[in-house]
Amino acid sequence: MEGPIEPMWKHLCLISLALVSVVPASVQAHVSGAQAPLRVAAAADLEPLLPPILSEFEHTTGIHAEATFQSSATLATQIQNGAPFDVFLSADLSFPKRLIDAGLADAASSADSTTSITYARGTLVLWERKDSQLPPPSLDLLRSASLKRLAIANPDRAPYGRAAVAALQSLKLYDTLKPNLVTAENIAQAAQFADTANADAGLISLTSALTPRLSADGSYFVIPRDLYPPIEQGAVIVSNTRQRDAAHKLLDFILSPAVQAELAKSGLTPVK
Amino acid sequence: MDWQAFALSLRLAAVTTAILLAIAIPLAALIVLGRSRWLAAVEALATLPMVLPPTVLGFFLLVLLGPRTSFGRGISELLGHPLAFSFDGLVVGSVIYSLPFAVQPLVAGFASVDTALVDAARLLGAGPVRLVTSILLPLARRSLLAAVILSFLHTIGEFGVVLMLGGDIPGATRTLSIVLYDQVENFDYSAADRTALLLLGLSVLFLAAIYSKTPNRASGVRGSGGH
Repeated sequence: MEGPIEPMWKHLCLISLALVSVVPASVQAHVSGAQAPLRVAAAADLEPLLPPILSEFEHTTGIHAEATFQSSATLATQIQNGAPFDVFLSADLSFPKRLIDAGLADAASSADSTTSITYARGTLVLWERKDSQLPPPSLDLLRSASLKRLAIANPDRAPYGRAAVAALQSLKLYDTLKPNLVTAENIAQAAQFADTANADAGLISLTSALTPRLSADGSYFVIPRDLYPPIEQGAVIVSNTRQRDAAHKLLDFILSPAVQAELAKSGLTPVK
Repeated sequence: MDWQAFALSLRLAAVTTAILLAIAIPLAALIVLGRSRWLAAVEALATLPMVLPPTVLGFFLLVLLGPRTSFGRGISELLGHPLAFSFDGLVVGSVIYSLPFAVQPLVAGFASVDTALVDAARLLGAGPVRLVTSILLPLARRSLLAAVILSFLHTIGEFGVVLMLGGDIPGATRTLSIVLYDQVENFDYSAADRTALLLLGLSVLFLAAIYSKTPNRASGVRGSGGH
């Protein structure tokens, strides 16, 4: 009984696969009745917390938004070269400013459209595995001679990497620790270096440290805020968006008290 | 121009290619000459690094070579230092990453050698080593050359594994492709142009020099067919 049915199924599967790949994307969008989604270019430190916020946004406004997570530098380059994003949520203010200066982005909802909207502030933490033989995370750990490898994000472009170097400089530890620094491409990778125990500890974002995986594996120490310039995260609207209204709605939503409170729970400091 | 990174990339590619040949020649000979049906699985395994995205491969290596596995602990005890974030670690990563690029051309080359020649050599009492050095390698030298060139250049251009496993340490793990990527990401396009042009120019010179010294394409086949 199963004999003749099975190949039939296989044929059907193959045929439908072929059909789906042939139907143009625009037709598919039309069939499902959906408008093109709002495309959000989001900094990598938002990866743990943005998806639930976007589904809440869709729930309240009916606007479907899709996020792409990359380092802020990569996203800025992509937007400069015409990537079809509508909103850019950066992890700092320099990349939005670069786009505004180039006339490619604006922040028209604030009074001054030449600066981006600060939607949150980042927090730098020192993270260490619980099973580490070294002292628990603290400023003393940074001063400890047994700290052989400390992971940071690339200070040339990753905002948390810049903050990490600034903090070490304020502590007058940068020159001592410089040979022990291992540089990761972004903050998530710095966390991986420490979580796989290849680095003894890492200076990472609080948003990473609060993820289920990292909070199960380790503990963190909040680096005192006076040791590094604030990590202000700025948002801009990409100028040639076709969904300006939806983009404004998303920014307003992120700045709303409820969402700001949610950001606080996930490791960002609210601005409102 | 970061000459330190340039020298490091050359050294990494040279060491990796040497190790790869030592692994890939016996492995390819075994795959072609052997009779076990497990050899298909061996060949499949040796091709597998091409499937994984390099950064994912690098992440797996980071976990495998790290202090949380007994394998990683054993290796760091043997070497006296952890493998991650060191030149040796990059060599291990590069050998795995470029393995298919050494094995595949050699398997294809060895397989194209006339089996009559191999059988004749066997009848005359040639052991496996003699078979490889006197019959297979001379008749498949173009494939050997391809294996060397592909392994070398693939390692020079290697990025994802180095990014995950390296930690960007000047002189130890900051290779030219990492420098190039950093220049692009830091919007230093003119420096990136110079680095990329130099890399491309040198590669073309290197390839042209090698190709000009090798006889025409058909020679290997003609040699094997001339019995």
